Amino acid sequence: MSNLLACLLLAMAPDAAAIVKRADRAVLGETTTYTVRMTVQRPGKRDRVVEMRGFKKGDEQGLVRYTTPPKERGTAYLRSGENTWLYLPSAAKVVRVGAKQNFGGGDFSNGDIFRLSLIKDYDPTLLGEEAMSGEACFKLELRAKNRSVAYDRVLYWVRTDGSFFPVRAEYYTISGKRLKWLSLGEVGKLGGRLRPTVLAMENALEAGAKTELRFLAIEDEAKLDDRLFTPSALEKGE
Amino acid sequence: MALGTAALVLGNGLADGIARQLTANLVAVQTGHLQVVARPGDFEPQNSPFDAYSPLRLPGAQALARRLEALPGVVRTAALLYGRGTAMAGGRSSMASIIGIEPEREPELRAAHHLQAGTFLSATGRAGGEPEVFLASPLAQKLRVGVGDAVSFVVQTPEGAVNSLDGVVVGVFQKGAPWYDHALYLSLGPAQDLFAWPGDATSIKITIEGGGQAAARQARPSIQALVRQTPLPGLDPDQRVLVETFPEAGRFAFSIMEANRGALLVLSSFLLAAAAVGIVNSMLMSVHERTREIGTIRALGMRRSAVVRLFVLEGLVLGTAAAGLGILAGGAAVLHYAAYGIPMNNTSLTWMAGGDRLFTVLTGASLARTAATIVALSILAAVYPAWVASRLEPREALHHV
Repeated sequence: MSNLLACLLLAMAPDAAAIVKRADRAVLGETTTYTVRMTVQRPGKRDRVVEMRGFKKGDEQGLVRYTTPPKERGTAYLRSGENTWLYLPSAAKVVRVGAKQNFGGGDFSNGDIFRLSLIKDYDPTLLGEEAMSGEACFKLELRAKNRSVAYDRVLYWVRTDGSFFPVRAEYYTISGKRLKWLSLGEVGKLGGRLRPTVLAMENALEAGAKTELRFLAIEDEAKLDDRLFTPSALEKGE
Repeated sequence: MALGTAALVLGNGLADGIARQLTANLVAVQTGHLQVVARPGDFEPQNSPFDAYSPLRLPGAQALARRLEALPGVVRTAALLYGRGTAMAGGRSSMASIIGIEPEREPELRAAHHLQAGTFLSATGRAGGEPEVFLASPLAQKLRVGVGDAVSFVVQTPEGAVNSLDGVVVGVFQKGAPWYDHALYLSLGPAQDLFAWPGDATSIKITIEGGGQAAARQARPSIQALVRQTPLPGLDPDQRVLVETFPEAGRFAFSIMEANRGALLVLSSFLLAAAAVGIVNSMLMSVHERTREIGTIRALGMRRSAVVRLFVLEGLVLGTAAAGLGILAGGAAVLHYAAYGIPMNNTSLTWMAGGDRLFTVLTGASLARTAATIVALSILAAVYPAWVASRLEPREALHHV
């Protein structure tokens, strides 16, 4: 009877793609500006704290500019389509960087930061429901659509309470090793709506290492010019 | 003169030792006598020890290697897969050069790595199902792993996805050359799994009968022809497949050798110039001291040309004696260091010598070259004093006090 009920509930649940689409917009909207504080924790070392101003337009364009500490101010990352660039003010030069290189010396890769849409890169399957971090969640398996996508498989937990807030994501290599895991929490009101405000990434490469992104301000529905997301604008610091 | 000769013999022994070590290492570890490799159309060597390797995919490399092995003059071929990634163990991680090899086809590579602990990779490359790992001592220390410990690798495959592999350490090697401090070897199969390139590699090492640059150049056309005939599906159109001889592939090692030879040439020039000045000086003194003697033989009818010949002959005798003595002393020193080696105990020296110990080399050609140089220099240096002696007037010379 309980099995039948579970099957019935699963059948009533939205399909996997719809869940992932909703979850994709849970933290940041379609077009958004935000302020975020990144804390990089390394065992035995002092935490490194950086604040950034970010801009996002659609699923293809993203820009993040360091605002503090003063010595790193002006450093910026740009993602446009499949390309990522880094601007270092000390060198006054824009260089192309790989999506898999780490972002700002932390545990997020450039691709993790600018992964603007999971549904674009992955085919999702709903595995069922499971409690995660004390929340009832849909458990989804996301399979990479091709071998150019960084992680071959992602396990994804999304709240079932109608908010579609993602709670956790685990990223696996082609051989099936869990490489990184992301926790999303501290739901709070930012930019006029509730959303997870803290994202913490840990990885298997270094025990005890963790990078936390804490959103301080978010403004959805911002009006952003396409010219902002170009390497020349990056160099000019616009 | 004898001391200068000994120094030259030792210098040549050092330069030859460096050249032999770097070449042997390059051929054994990286390139073979010839290598088949894919390069970008606009490839520019970076003068790095890893220039010989290419990170580009050579499709069907293993099958091509077996076909090349059937060509006359080819002793052995081995496919090699080179890539970069992260090695990790117990929460520690390090960047690593990951090199997939066919262990049973790499006896020279095996011999070129001094075993510190454990064993080399087995023919299957797997221990109890787990891929075997043979890694450099500095990397093992950084990860704090030893024989029997688990180690994992994470790489970005050339297509872009992230992949990983768990292995077990079967051996730790001490290479000396600092560019191998973060190198590790896997069997080709697990390396292909890791980079998601089944059947492929990044180069084919070819061992040629007789070895040497001339044999490599001679064997190249037939290898090139077979490579051209072989379809390589999946090869990027911007890339070209090259058959490189080891001096072409190992530009870095050869640039070190050239720099050493250049330095030796400069040093030898100073040494020879100093020796020449010494000879001229001592022979002029000899002319001065023997002025009356020269006057007597000239008065007795000896011609000027005969006086010149006399002094040049004296220079030849002096030079031959000095060369003989110097060769004996220098040769003994070279033979000593050829047997026991010279410790290269700082990073610059290990970079120059390609190892943490330098074994000098004594060759007949080098000895003959040095002896000929010293004798020729002695004769040349004797010409001016001989000319001065021949210009003496017998009447004035006999009155010389």
